[in-house]
Amino acid sequence: MHISEGILSGPVLISGIALAAAGTAIGLKKLDYERIPRAAILSASFFVASLIHVPIGPSSVHLILNGIVGLILGWGAFPVILVALMLQAMLFQFGGITTLGVNTVIMALPAVFCYYLFGRLVSKRPRIALPAAFACGAFSVFFGAVMVGLALMFTEENFLKAAYLVVITYLPVMIIEGIITAFCVAFLKKVQPDMLPE
Amino acid sequence: MSATRLTRYGMCCSKGFGFMLFMMACVVWTDPAMAHRSTIFAWVEGDRVFTESKFSGGKRVREGDVIVYDSEGHQLLKGKTDDKGEFSFEVPAKTSLKIVLMAGMGHGGEWTIPVSELEGVAGAQVEITPSQNTARKMTEKQRDVSHLSSNEIRLTVEEAVDKKLKPVMKILVELRENRPTFRDIFGGIGYILGLMGVAAYVNYRHKSAEIDGKETD
Repeated sequence: MHISEGILSGPVLISGIALAAAGTAIGLKKLDYERIPRAAILSASFFVASLIHVPIGPSSVHLILNGIVGLILGWGAFPVILVALMLQAMLFQFGGITTLGVNTVIMALPAVFCYYLFGRLVSKRPRIALPAAFACGAFSVFFGAVMVGLALMFTEENFLKAAYLVVITYLPVMIIEGIITAFCVAFLKKVQPDMLPE
Repeated sequence: MSATRLTRYGMCCSKGFGFMLFMMACVVWTDPAMAHRSTIFAWVEGDRVFTESKFSGGKRVREGDVIVYDSEGHQLLKGKTDDKGEFSFEVPAKTSLKIVLMAGMGHGGEWTIPVSELEGVAGAQVEITPSQNTARKMTEKQRDVSHLSSNEIRLTVEEAVDKKLKPVMKILVELRENRPTFRDIFGGIGYILGLMGVAAYVNYRHKSAEIDGKETD
């Protein structure tokens, strides 16, 4: 889901940077110091997640994990994902430096959105919480794919064709991430329930 | 912090690190063809330019768009990679060629062939503009093969060298792949933990300043 350099037009890149800056500012404000260690661990997990490859047909996709990041951190997902993406761009050349803003928005905005959609459900009893967690993980990837289509809309083919292709390709990842998020939530409910949103 | 909170915090941290170790184990045990960067590699052989497009980690780029621009940015030609990720074309003009790969879904890469690599292209020795392309193609076909001018000898030698270099080029394409190494991964995680340390230190200073402020009251 990382967009490489030289594909998007200038205005898209600049609006990406602006949106990412705004999101990161909000995220840093809401990220109190007590939550920094878990933010660091989630950032490291997100950083490594892109190396977990899911072979799918002609293309290749990777895990994203923005679902669990959004669920635990809320708006804090923005600075966390920005840091991880910057390190991926510098060390692995995944994505790019100019596309840092756009890539951050693509992955962090769905995380925050799903946090608001499913956050409240996750603290309920397991029968509701686990499907909600699955949905959170799956829809974070889904909305991320939609945003990739949006970003590419101004460059490549029309939005529906680009978005459809990305969503179909990431369908297995959606399911895997939903399962992973559900497992994480189940585990956290037992060990440290105050990590999950109220 | 009370003892129970400390132990819970420590447990959580160790479980967090356990989670991270699990992720890294996944990295080791999955198919090492992890890919999230596409690259294109191009070289000249005789009259043709050969390109090979791959995702980082080795998977070939199939049905990817390849667009060739001249030194001024005008598009010279466009094509698609085949099942092996290869696409070749005749040298369209004797200018530096910028070959751009669009592998779809936001992946891309590029490779520039400088003019100096096109020296051996048969035909004109003078640098020509794309508009003279068709004229050059005609003189090539009318070239008399029976003459053994020094030019002919040079071209024959270049052809032989190209043939010998072909397997070397293939090796270079394989070598170029740089999938993320463990060094990179550890480096990245180190940076993140370092940032966390800086934030924690700033927090400590902030809190101790607060406490000092309260004590002096």
